[in-house]
Amino acid sequence: MITITINGKEIKLEKPVTVLEAARANGIKIPALCAHEQLEKYGGCRLCLVEVEKMPRLQTSCTLTVADGMVIKTESENITKARRGVLEFLLINHPLDCPVCDKAGECELQDLVSKYGASAGRFKEEKRKTPESHEDRILARNMERCILCTRCVRMCKDVQGASALTIVERGGKSRMEPFSRESFNCEYCGNCHTVCPVGAILARPNIHNYRPWQIDREVETVCPYCGVGCSFILQVRDESIKRTIPKLGLGLNNGLLCSRGRWGYDFANNPERLKYPLIRKNGKLEQSSWDEALGLIVNKLQTIKNTQGGKAIAGIASPRCTNEDNYVFQKFLRTACQTNNIDSVSRLGFASAQRYFEDILGQGITANMIAGLKNSDVIIVLGGDPTAVNPILGLSVRAAARNGAKIVVIGNAKGLERFKTLKVTPPVFKEADVLEAVLSEIAKVKGPRGEKPAIDKRINELAGKYRTPEISGFNELKELLLSGKSVSIVLGTDIVQRTNGHKALFAVAGITYLLEARLYLLSERANEQGLIDMGCLPDALPGGRPLNINDFRKRFETSWGSSIPSDNGLTLMEIVDASRDKKIKALYVMGENPAFNIPNNPYVKEALSALEFLVVQDIFLTETAEIAHVVLPALSWSEKDGTYTNLERRIQRLRKAVNAPSGMEDWKIISEVSNRMGCKMQYRGTEEIIDEIADISPLYKGLTYDEITKGNCLWPYKGEPLRGVISEIPAAPEKSDDYKGDFYLVPEKLLFHSGTLSRRSSSLNRICPEPSLKIGEGHAQRLGLKDGDNVKIHASDGNLSIKISTDRYIKDNLVFISNNFEGRGVFSLLRYSLDPVTKAPGLEGCEIKIEKA
Amino acid sequence: MENFLLKNIENPDSADIEEYLKIGGYKNIAKAFELEPKAIIEEVKKAGLRGRGGAGFPTAMKWSFAAADPKFPKYLLCNADEGEPGTFKDRPILEKNPHLLIEGMVISGYALGAEYGYIYLRGEYPHAKDVLNKAISQAYEKNYLGDNILGKSIKFHLAVHQGAGAYICGEETALIESLEGKRGQPRTRPPFPVNVGAWAMPTVVNNVETLCNIPYIISIGSEAYSQIGSKDCPGPKLYCVSGCVEKPGVYELPMGTSLKDIIFNHAGGIKGGKKLKAVIPGGISTPVLPESMIDCPMDFSSMPKHGSMLGSGAVIVMDESVCMVKVTYRALKFFEHESCGKCTPCREGTEWLRKSLGRIERGEGREGDIELLQEISENIMGKTFCPLGDGAAGVVLGMLKHFKGEFEEKIKAKGSRV
Repeated sequence: MITITINGKEIKLEKPVTVLEAARANGIKIPALCAHEQLEKYGGCRLCLVEVEKMPRLQTSCTLTVADGMVIKTESENITKARRGVLEFLLINHPLDCPVCDKAGECELQDLVSKYGASAGRFKEEKRKTPESHEDRILARNMERCILCTRCVRMCKDVQGASALTIVERGGKSRMEPFSRESFNCEYCGNCHTVCPVGAILARPNIHNYRPWQIDREVETVCPYCGVGCSFILQVRDESIKRTIPKLGLGLNNGLLCSRGRWGYDFANNPERLKYPLIRKNGKLEQSSWDEALGLIVNKLQTIKNTQGGKAIAGIASPRCTNEDNYVFQKFLRTACQTNNIDSVSRLGFASAQRYFEDILGQGITANMIAGLKNSDVIIVLGGDPTAVNPILGLSVRAAARNGAKIVVIGNAKGLERFKTLKVTPPVFKEADVLEAVLSEIAKVKGPRGEKPAIDKRINELAGKYRTPEISGFNELKELLLSGKSVSIVLGTDIVQRTNGHKALFAVAGITYLLEARLYLLSERANEQGLIDMGCLPDALPGGRPLNINDFRKRFETSWGSSIPSDNGLTLMEIVDASRDKKIKALYVMGENPAFNIPNNPYVKEALSALEFLVVQDIFLTETAEIAHVVLPALSWSEKDGTYTNLERRIQRLRKAVNAPSGMEDWKIISEVSNRMGCKMQYRGTEEIIDEIADISPLYKGLTYDEITKGNCLWPYKGEPLRGVISEIPAAPEKSDDYKGDFYLVPEKLLFHSGTLSRRSSSLNRICPEPSLKIGEGHAQRLGLKDGDNVKIHASDGNLSIKISTDRYIKDNLVFISNNFEGRGVFSLLRYSLDPVTKAPGLEGCEIKIEKA
Repeated sequence: MENFLLKNIENPDSADIEEYLKIGGYKNIAKAFELEPKAIIEEVKKAGLRGRGGAGFPTAMKWSFAAADPKFPKYLLCNADEGEPGTFKDRPILEKNPHLLIEGMVISGYALGAEYGYIYLRGEYPHAKDVLNKAISQAYEKNYLGDNILGKSIKFHLAVHQGAGAYICGEETALIESLEGKRGQPRTRPPFPVNVGAWAMPTVVNNVETLCNIPYIISIGSEAYSQIGSKDCPGPKLYCVSGCVEKPGVYELPMGTSLKDIIFNHAGGIKGGKKLKAVIPGGISTPVLPESMIDCPMDFSSMPKHGSMLGSGAVIVMDESVCMVKVTYRALKFFEHESCGKCTPCREGTEWLRKSLGRIERGEGREGDIELLQEISENIMGKTFCPLGDGAAGVVLGMLKHFKGEFEEKIKAKGSRV
């Protein structure tokens, strides 16, 4: 215990913190500009000077660590004079342009000068002049205002790990500059902008269009993009979102955001939003009334149900909708429509993997606290780049690397290139073989564990079959894994999208089991976990309860006052097939765009066009809505209440910030349809829905909005498979293909875009306006291509003209295109065949030819 | 006193290892290797050697901190970033007597357990770079550097790293940052380099002259060494005299030789028989002394009593014709240019001072300027991250203390020469 005295007050401290931290923790204010809670100490601004007994000169409290018996004074004539002196120095070259500066009103320098500064300056010489730079698409730089606290540089390097910024020149000529000169050309997290104490780094999307004191409301809510579920504050004026502001101490992102979270909010302000219901008349979508549209839906669904049975109806739920929306949706389909044909695009990755892992390892196995990553000593990353898919989780991986953890990347993860200890590149589409070999090697040392006989048995079987792969780094990989005391596995969904994806998943499960590792499953959409928890699956009820176990089903039937069909429904791809085969007549799509977001777009479109009746609820006229019979305008995430459950199973509140000019909450539309179909749903608000969920789902038992608001609401981890202990791991016959082609096309997950929402965000489109084909630099050179060249690619049935972007880290012959941009998504070219176990689409083997355009 | 640091310097081939061996060079390595590393540190401690870079920190104490740190590898860095205006004392060693420095570094490295050394060389000394590199390769050939020095299992490797021309990189933590390939800016202390230095390992940074004293101590023993010059900081000292003297140059004299003696006896007095006006005794960062105050022993402990500092021992002599406002302006132009920009008072304060002084110098001075200069300097003094700002403020405060009249006249006379 350390005892110090500040201003005569005795303070006891457990840890040797800095004087500044000790003072602030005890409510004593010391002005400081370069010091920041998230950053390493710097000692540059010299504002936080204090007097310390027995020390000859004033000390900077931000760099001085407390020592037992230290006596400190934070206010004195001497200190006031020194602070005034420093502020005067800061102002000699700082333009006094507060009236036109966006930061005015929340500027730390402005606040300090009004508190400690002199009333007038004495500097009569000429000020330094640097014109404001608008070269970058998203961030403006005003280096006249910069006070060189270097918070931005330290944030970018030490926390974000992007190292895109630096200080160039020296002395008074010093200025912050991106390494790529005028344009930032970085990860665009904007965290430099957050920590800038003055108006030196400005956000162009809202430059000169708001004043901090002219905000109508500030609403705390959760980000709509990925499964991490960052918290931020929405500032709203005139029913339009002005800014998203992360805050220290708020949510698991604790003051940080990624590019999508920071800039992507403006899709909600997009003028192309759907404003009224549409009905297809004479082949064209025409405006209609709600009453007419709902009437038509009820009529159609009733008719099909009565004539063909519930099995002819299917629904696609949405990982972008709230728990409440999804709960109501599946209840509606199971009761009013009498069908279990419910699935979502999560089947493409997250849901398939999550279900597989939970079946063999126990419920909650993939849901670990992101904060725990920082404590790992070995982290294996495979199947995707966490810094692109779940950027804030990615930062934890980078932070772990800085803490000394060994990072092993299997495959490609560009954002971790500078943080990795080892990178292993498996032969294309043969990740499973490498992982099985690793598992077998680990089993030699660690296994069998004996807790789960089925897994031990399967590992045993593999041990007899594997061959040590001839890839460089395999032995190091094995050694590293075995050396770990606290191993984490970060799994992206790319390896799920293989026809034999379950093989890789089992290997990962086995490694997790043997090493007692923590498993993190990357989640591209905000509410993928919640969607599963709510029972938007063909084989499970809310809480993950298996549908075909009678006891569970009976409980829900009693509670819902309706029978539920007892057979498992169809999975996503099966729904598409059944639509094409006209076994499914009506499809209800809530907040999803299957015609674009499911691989083999032409086939999916053909299938959906074959439907007798297609309903789409969305906020934009998507590719799917365009071919629908009825389109209903829903609300965006910022316009409604509800909850999201993130990938660590944390349940968080979504709060209404903006009054939507039109549209209705998804749950409300569904309830209305359900009511008209005779299945009563009388929810007056989302709170009543969560009450029902809390009553019926074991995972959400007893949950209330009040409790969620307090934070840290994680559903309990039991670690038991819901179907009971399995005796046999599901597996499918081996399939062996050789991939000897020049290039293979696979989907890319972009940092700046996410599905079909982000393409309506003008800010994100400014950062990343068009798709590109990512290709290894060496391969591009071999083809005589350089970054930015236009090429034409030929797949088995389809061509695409696209620009290439070269990547020096990609060594294998995979080439990548994202699935975000209209008409040019990778899913328009990729075909698939189903993994028989997970029912996820296998996307491997799309051989393409690249030709210079 | 016989020269040691500048021994053989008149020999045009003094930088060649054969010439150095002829005068008994490298013998001290073998002698030192017979001692335990601890015993060498003890010898240096008894000798009373204080760092010659300017701060006068006891060398043995610095070494013992680094030697006591359990982390390995340790680094020995030679600060050859001789940037203080007026200072050119290390240059003759670097260019003419490089093997003495290498010998000193091998012994020092052995004493503190460092197996790797770097000479951080001033960017503006390209000739010294060639000389040092040649000397180092000769030393490797003769097995005075390498893995098994003199056939013993003692290892020391040495390389030259040239700076890019930044005064601040003479500050030891900025030097380390620069050596690591980063922007040359001082680091927060503590932790001190002796514990967390280059690549976060225990690191000793010693001045060229300091390291060259080590073979001398080994050679004549601490007892004899401690008898040279001032009692509390003994040893030979290089004084470099420049400005208005008949014989400017580097003089190796016992520590504590009087400033007056240096100027009038050794450097031949004031050039052209003019009258002495003022002396900056230890490089531009040390406060100026008027003619009346130069009868003082030039060592670390005496100079503060006389209102200045020994600094690097760079004596800048100014006669009656020198304009002190111009000297101040020129000095501040240097400090503004060399301020690294990390901390506010130094970055902004030196600019403000330079701009104001420039105005006065141009004959555009205003009433109140002197008070303003005084206050700006006081606002810098003691509030900067490293001593660079203190040095800049000290120049102005020193000049105003002794030559305020010249500033007043200049402001009144609107530009006419004093």
